[in-house]
This record gives sequence, structure tokens and C-alpha cells, in this order.
Amino acid sequence: MIPFSREGNLVTARLEPGETAVLAALAGQLIELLDERAAESPTDVLLAQLGIGGASAPPLDPALARLLPDAYRDDSEASSEHRQLTELGLVDRKIANARAVVATLNGGMLVVLDPPAAQSWLRHLTDLRLVLAARLQIEGDGDAGSGDDRMLDLYDWLGYLQGTLVECLE
Amino acid sequence: MSRTLETPLDSPLDTLQQLADQPWVTIVWNDPVNLMTYVSYVFRSYFGHSAEEAQRLMLVVHNEGRAVVASGGREEMERHVEAMHDFGLWATLSKESS
Repeated sequence: MIPFSREGNLVTARLEPGETAVLAALAGQLIELLDERAAESPTDVLLAQLGIGGASAPPLDPALARLLPDAYRDDSEASSEHRQLTELGLVDRKIANARAVVATLNGGMLVVLDPPAAQSWLRHLTDLRLVLAARLQIEGDGDAGSGDDRMLDLYDWLGYLQGTLVECLE
Repeated sequence: MSRTLETPLDSPLDTLQQLADQPWVTIVWNDPVNLMTYVSYVFRSYFGHSAEEAQRLMLVVHNEGRAVVASGGREEMERHVEAMHDFGLWATLSKESS
């Protein structure tokens, strides 16, 4: 892998074929996770078209709960109301970011990102790391995480990749 | 003839309005996942903070566990919180005093 670097308005990276395959698979899993959540929402078609009518309770899955947190810390009623109005929109945008990332992987090993694609990558890499951290039980600063070594390596690799992307956008 | 008051007293409605206008704040909480450079980037690109201010706020989040990153009306703070959730940052809103 050659990490992200900037060329004018674009940022580019060169990934190994195995790395693009992993990113595509992870994006697919994230989309599935979010799709399932959206499908559970007790909504009607009209409200869904407006992006509202989402679930009223936070997800039970800790990974999803971290992707879709409560907006109020000590007010479950206000959180619930806010969630119904905003969660479906948030889910849609996270899915759109995942799809935008997958679209940039279609060109093979060279990844070329224009500014909107770079923004999708930033957010999507964050979402992937939040999900992996929940699975690895990384809950506080300094937690090394427990679980599959390959998953830990993946978590670190995604962090490295994201770090180089952030540097390009500084 | 009696003189009128030159400065009108605040009406009770004004007082109520002032209470209702009590600022809300957006709080970003520390998490072990997000990179310090990324959090700083979000504060700069989304809130338009200078590099120094973004760095300072990021360090407050990191060292103290949370930082107030914006204040204002409730609806505006709800929009900020939603935007932070888009970025994958852990954010909540509350009344300023709490």
C-alpha cells in the first residue's frame, strides 16, 4: 500500500488487491447492518420519504448504538423524539458514504478521490473503526482490545489509512 | 397629567422569552476510537474554528473527557449534534447550566 497523498485538488492512494477486497467487504457489512436497522423502524412510506419516522429507542447492538447515539445524555424522552426525526436520515447518509467508497474502489488499485469522495472516505473509515472497536471491546483510552488478532490489525490499519487521509486535508 | 415611563418595563412575556432563549450547548465526548487529528479536523472544517482553537478544543475533549464546542438555540444545537454523528463523533446537547 502507498498511503494517501495529495495531488492538487485530489487525494490518491495505491492499495493492494487484497486491501480493496477487504474494504469492499467491510463496506458491504456496514451497509447490511444499517439496512437491517432501517428495516426495523416502525415507519410508513410517506414519513420515510421525508427521512423521518425512525425508531424511538437506541439500538441494542453496541456497534450500532455507537453509530447512532442518543442526542441527549440524561433525557430519554427528548432523545427518543430526536431519534424518530433524524435516525433514518443519518442511516441513509452513512450508507451513501459506504457506497461512495465502494464506487472509488472499482478502478482497481489506484484510488483517486475528489473532495466529496474524500469526505465520504473520512466518515466511512470512522464508522468502520467505531464498529470494529465495539466488537473488540475497545471502550476507553488505552484499551488494547480483545478478540481476533486479524480484526485488531484491521482496526489499526484503518486508523493508519484514515490518518494519512486527514493529513492530506489539513 | 401623569408622565409616562420613558423606559418601558420588561413585560412578563419578555422575561419568559429570555428564559426560553437560555442557551443550549453542544458537547463532544471523548472516545478511544477517533484520531486526535481527525477530531481537530472536524472542529475546523465544520465549525470553522482556527487551527489553534480546534486543537485546543480537541485537547479539552481528550484530557477532560468532554468539551463544549458550540452554544445557541436548541434547534441549532440539534443540527450540530446530528452533524457530529455524521462524522462519527460522540456528541450530545443540553441546557448550558447542566
